[in-house]
Amino acid sequence: MVDIQEDPGALFQIEEPTSSAPKLRTPGLAIGIDLGTTHSLVALASHGAAPRALPDTSGQPLLHSVVSYVDGVTVGARAMAQRVSHPSDVIVSVKRFMGRGTADVATLPHPYRIQAPSAGEADVVRFDVAGDRRVTPMEVSAEILAELARRAEAELGQWPTGAVITVPAYFDDAQRQATKDAGRIAGLQVMRLLAEPTAAALAYGLDRGGQGLFAIYDLGGGTFDISILRLRDGVFQVLATGGDSALGGDDFDRAIAEHLLGVAGIEGDDRQMWAEALVAARAAKEALTDEVSVSVTLERAGLTGHELRREAVEALLEPIARRTIVACRATLKDAGLRPKELDGVVLVGGSTRVPLVRRLVAETFKQEPLGDIDPDKVVAYGAAVQADILSGSEREGVTLLDVVPLSLGLETMGGIVEKIIPRNATIPIGARQVFTNYSEKQTGMVVHVVQGERELADDCRSLAKFTLQGIPRLPPSMARVEVTFELDADALLTVTARELMTGVKQTVEVKPTYGLTDEEVDTLVMDSLDHAAEDFDARNLAEARVELGRVLLAVKTARVEVGHIDALLPPDERAQVDAAIAAAEAAMAGEGEESLVAVRERLEKVSEGFARRRMERALLAGMQGHTLHEIESAIAAEDDLAPRRGSHEPEQL
Amino acid sequence: MMATATETSTPREPTQGAPADTIHITERAAKVMRAQLDKRGTPQGAIRFGIRGGGCTGYSYMFQFEDGDPRGTDKVVDAAFGVRVYVDPKSMVLIKGTTIDFETGMRGHGFKFANPNIGGSCGCGESVAF
Repeated sequence: MVDIQEDPGALFQIEEPTSSAPKLRTPGLAIGIDLGTTHSLVALASHGAAPRALPDTSGQPLLHSVVSYVDGVTVGARAMAQRVSHPSDVIVSVKRFMGRGTADVATLPHPYRIQAPSAGEADVVRFDVAGDRRVTPMEVSAEILAELARRAEAELGQWPTGAVITVPAYFDDAQRQATKDAGRIAGLQVMRLLAEPTAAALAYGLDRGGQGLFAIYDLGGGTFDISILRLRDGVFQVLATGGDSALGGDDFDRAIAEHLLGVAGIEGDDRQMWAEALVAARAAKEALTDEVSVSVTLERAGLTGHELRREAVEALLEPIARRTIVACRATLKDAGLRPKELDGVVLVGGSTRVPLVRRLVAETFKQEPLGDIDPDKVVAYGAAVQADILSGSEREGVTLLDVVPLSLGLETMGGIVEKIIPRNATIPIGARQVFTNYSEKQTGMVVHVVQGERELADDCRSLAKFTLQGIPRLPPSMARVEVTFELDADALLTVTARELMTGVKQTVEVKPTYGLTDEEVDTLVMDSLDHAAEDFDARNLAEARVELGRVLLAVKTARVEVGHIDALLPPDERAQVDAAIAAAEAAMAGEGEESLVAVRERLEKVSEGFARRRMERALLAGMQGHTLHEIESAIAAEDDLAPRRGSHEPEQL
Repeated sequence: MMATATETSTPREPTQGAPADTIHITERAAKVMRAQLDKRGTPQGAIRFGIRGGGCTGYSYMFQFEDGDPRGTDKVVDAAFGVRVYVDPKSMVLIKGTTIDFETGMRGHGFKFANPNIGGSCGCGESVAF
């Protein structure tokens, strides 16, 4: 029922609570994860080695970022297969929901059942899925992360000691925090969140060039990022970032799907039809990378053999692709650069395979972009390199400087935002500003932390709000409240307010508005444990069935062959074997009281002697006509093989 | 049923059927816990016992000092010598019926957990071998 990975005889010592933090610096055991909107993958670059993506058992490195709750929890291609038939129970592109409240996602097109939070509940998106479960985007992402971590576990022989997870440069604090929490729920020690473009630059080894200016154009499934990096003296600095956290290849798919349904004359929003059209749209888009024309059939919508030509599709995609170009120009302007000043442009994300996109990028930046590393893997590669450095491997260190994606500020009188840390400031960074009282009666000050570029607090994203109490009664403008913002290397914010006369002080670690408290995250962590136990039981049951089926088939086959040869199977044993076979068949059919394992063990036990005698007889038959020498060498060869067979035993992970 | 304080001097036989939602701490184990809490300078402290980890990859025990109050949902198990052990409700599912003992022997000394929920001896009889 429960598998606890400890030697049953192990002895334990009471640990200090702080020692529960896993050791970060275990060289070679940290992984890099690209948690993408459409695909995710894990890469490893242990001890300074070149990064490589870790494939699943069928050799596929890209994991569909899809989680199905239809039949337990499944992730990846198997979940994807259930998407058309269960559109509301199969969560796709969950990254768009990370760190968002229900109001934030109201305008996102999606087929999910999302209810407004009930009273007292944090405003977090919760998907109602099959099995009466409500899951948050963090939990869904955690399933994806855990799946990838298991690949790494199989490779490393142990659970990875740490992970670097990439996030779009545009992610705000709430989204970053949500990503970190997802890692925690998955049982991963998140050493660092790394901006995706920075990771891509690391993967290209742009750090080895000495210096230069680079643009990273990253068009993934659901997010678009454009970043301008400057490399000087072997140090990367992100000069500017821009983009759109709700624009990507999914929009291409949607545009094509809408077109297809339009051609089929379908209106309204039938979820299954929509899901089918999306799958077909994606396939058509991918096929048109190399082909000029593709034929599309939608069974549910009654569209048969519709021919889509590349030009027609490009006309559909161009308005969307143009939006990325607008963002590119704005970001270049932010960085104070002209296109020809760039030394290179890097393509990231599967959507940069679309020929139209490459063409537009080349036109805009007036140069052919770099795309020789697989654009799907380049980010994970960079994350793996960074993870290796952080785990303490002796890899040539690269100092990364990141920037604040959006300005951080405070709401002041009249709802005006006072910016404390401007956007694109390099992090880690601290900044402080002194505020004063507006009346003698004021003994408290509300500190409302917001993030965004707008001037009114209402238009910015609210990150936290707290009240500093105990300000002494002083005439207007005489009290002095100093507010300090400290942004750590993961771009997570701590805000401190201190009244300078009395020294009264209050600090909040900004848990951005998606607003899970530590306790709630803990609960989620424990919930994931809960379901892990369920999943584990389900898996054990399935394995027990397979194992019993295998033994049953072998014994029955032998039993039929032997018939009533008493020398091989004496009557009393025969009765026992037959009874055990009957019990096993009943158990397979779901009848009987005994567990599958107990039935299998009995079947193996009663057929032991019978199996041995059969084996001996077969050996004897095999030996006839052979010399003693031949037999001895056959036995020796068998002995040689034994230890190697042993090594193929499933290893305890 | 409310579990009563357990001050057992010997490990209990595993009960028939589902174990009650508590854990047992032998007197010997409690004595060592008491000594270690005192030595650490936190005689009022407690011990947190639970499970961490997740996924289908197995769990590991968490066994550490705890200076704070129990969380609202924690089960507080009182052992001998005024020792308190906190167990969170989710962990309890996986460790209920566990006896914590203290052993000295050839393998050194330390606490030993006899957890009836592990392996083939559990109620469902399903094997846990990978």
